Amino acid sequence: MSESGDSDASWIFYKDRPDWSDVTPIPEDDGPAPVVVIAHSEKFEDVYDYFRAILKTNEKSERALLLTKDAVEFNPANYTVWQYRRDLLQALGTDLKTELEYVEAVIKQSPKNYQVWHHRRVLIEWLQDPSLELEVTGDALQQDPKNYHAWQHRQWAIKTFGLFDKEMDFVDTLINEDVRNNSAWNQRYFVMNNHLGWSDYNVQKEICYALEKIKFVKNNESAWNYLRGVLLHDKRGISGNAVVTSFCEELYKNKCRSPYLLAFIIDICEENLKKGETSCIYNSERAIDLCQALATKYDKIRSKYWNYFSEKIKALQNIKTVEQNNMEE
Amino acid sequence: MNNEENKILAHRQHVKYFMRFLNVLPSSLSSHDTTRVTIAYFSVSGLDVLGSITSISLDLQSRIIEWLYQLQVEPNKENGDMSACGFQGSSTINIDFESGNNHYRCGHLAMTYTGLCILLTLGDDLSRLNRKALIEGVKALQTEEGNFSATLSGCESDMRFVYCAACISYILNDWSGFNVERATDYIIKSIGYDYGIAQCPELESHGGTTFCALATLSLTDQLNKLTEYQIERLKRWLLFRQIDGYQGRPNKPVDTCYSFWVGASLKILDSLQLSNYANNRNYVYETQDCVVGGFSKWPDTCTDPMHTYLGLAGLSLIGENGLLEIVPTLNISKRAHDHLKALHEKWDSES
Repeated sequence: MSESGDSDASWIFYKDRPDWSDVTPIPEDDGPAPVVVIAHSEKFEDVYDYFRAILKTNEKSERALLLTKDAVEFNPANYTVWQYRRDLLQALGTDLKTELEYVEAVIKQSPKNYQVWHHRRVLIEWLQDPSLELEVTGDALQQDPKNYHAWQHRQWAIKTFGLFDKEMDFVDTLINEDVRNNSAWNQRYFVMNNHLGWSDYNVQKEICYALEKIKFVKNNESAWNYLRGVLLHDKRGISGNAVVTSFCEELYKNKCRSPYLLAFIIDICEENLKKGETSCIYNSERAIDLCQALATKYDKIRSKYWNYFSEKIKALQNIKTVEQNNMEE
Repeated sequence: MNNEENKILAHRQHVKYFMRFLNVLPSSLSSHDTTRVTIAYFSVSGLDVLGSITSISLDLQSRIIEWLYQLQVEPNKENGDMSACGFQGSSTINIDFESGNNHYRCGHLAMTYTGLCILLTLGDDLSRLNRKALIEGVKALQTEEGNFSATLSGCESDMRFVYCAACISYILNDWSGFNVERATDYIIKSIGYDYGIAQCPELESHGGTTFCALATLSLTDQLNKLTEYQIERLKRWLLFRQIDGYQGRPNKPVDTCYSFWVGASLKILDSLQLSNYANNRNYVYETQDCVVGGFSKWPDTCTDPMHTYLGLAGLSLIGENGLLEIVPTLNISKRAHDHLKALHEKWDSES
């Protein structure tokens, strides 16, 4: 970005432009002995010398607006330039639709720049018109389906302006394209949580959706995490839904040893133990065995964690045994 | 790059690497123009962690300190307003304004935080800080929601700046500009269904923002506001980020910087010992440039000061030989933190 002007032979320095001859440029004052000095190009320095000059005199003009474009080009992360540009837009009554096109082009060049997304958000707040936002963020997410900035802007626009209608279709498409796209799974939760709601029917439906995707790719943390998220809305917890438990047992029987499956079964056992329910399948012995299997075979990188978790289960079991003995006495 | 020679810290090269960044940078880094203080922070703290703070000559040390103090925004001369106070990231907008538009010259929380870290690391006594003004500058940036904007001059607000505001308040030992209750509320609302923590409520859990949130809870002594279940699940979420090195989100590639962000989060939860040090270490070393120094996010890619510092800090957390101990919450060395503690005692005895 910073060098983009160098190849342009027709570039005229601001100091050589007749229509800027009335302005005295202000060089950067970095003190007598600066450190971390960036050896900016001559063009960069020229643009920013003039930017400082108009900022100081608070010049609100069309030429100032054009100057901020050059300043953005050389450094899109300069938040003061963007702020001054917004102040100019307001003072000059510039058509904000044109500005939206401009900012879209900058986003395309710098899709992970905080300032440019913020600029867009302010413009949308002014216009109170979010009609382009799903498309603009959709384009950015097509380039990078996990672009955090784009997701943040998209969630903001959807929530602020109630644009939920077609969002689940969008999410479905992304998950179908890449079932491991954790951002898309998060967006699915966002839509359920804010729009479709967690009715018993929806909970069951989302459980089935997650299970189907897990069946497709078993070792996918995103789908397992989503399943757990959905079950937060099931009063019976993670241990009480027969569809889920029989699905897990089926996977286990078919030799699936994904750490996410084993961890899930361990958590079912833990939940049962905490509730004080006795079960011949979901008990502390099985949880401890599975921790052992993870630690020694299926998730060795986390062996210390699984040993630690096993100890927690043992301690929990001891508490429960003491409680039970006390009750019997 | 898997051979054993590359698993040795290229100490001398890293020192040279940081020293270069403290001097002059190429024009290709022009887009870092407004955040030069952070580059100075990575370099100074990096040299500190390497045990090489004395590689910075006394003359250069005092130049760095002078340069920083010059970036401190003073209260408005006419009305005494302190809301713009803080450190600027560079002298790009370091000009005298006529009244009316001097709000363009304002501090930035990330620059104030990293600027203070540099001063502490260089052993400055912070006597030239306008502490009251810096705290008022922090106060002006907290939103209704409980999070913070980075600067008065048009900026997004999120978890990163909650963290910076907490660090500044901790360093200055003054929480009057930081509403702990509201910030804690914001953090708890940003916990996801997978128990990781996001940039803002309902966004995807992220290793970097989880660090910001946890470090803030620790600095404000609010970790007890999380339930035991939340803490246990968060520990697991963090440990599941380890592939060999760490990733920042599920199903994303690993990246050297998360050896610090996730490692420090685990350290704050007293659980780093449950992770696999050897695999983590091997990955970080795969991203080391042994010839010119520096670390990159992925093997055989471009190094930069941020990944270099965070790579070293991540190695320090797991006790790598030859590196100074890091205080995970503030992300400065224990040596610098001890200096801060001494300053706090001095301030206490003066008040």
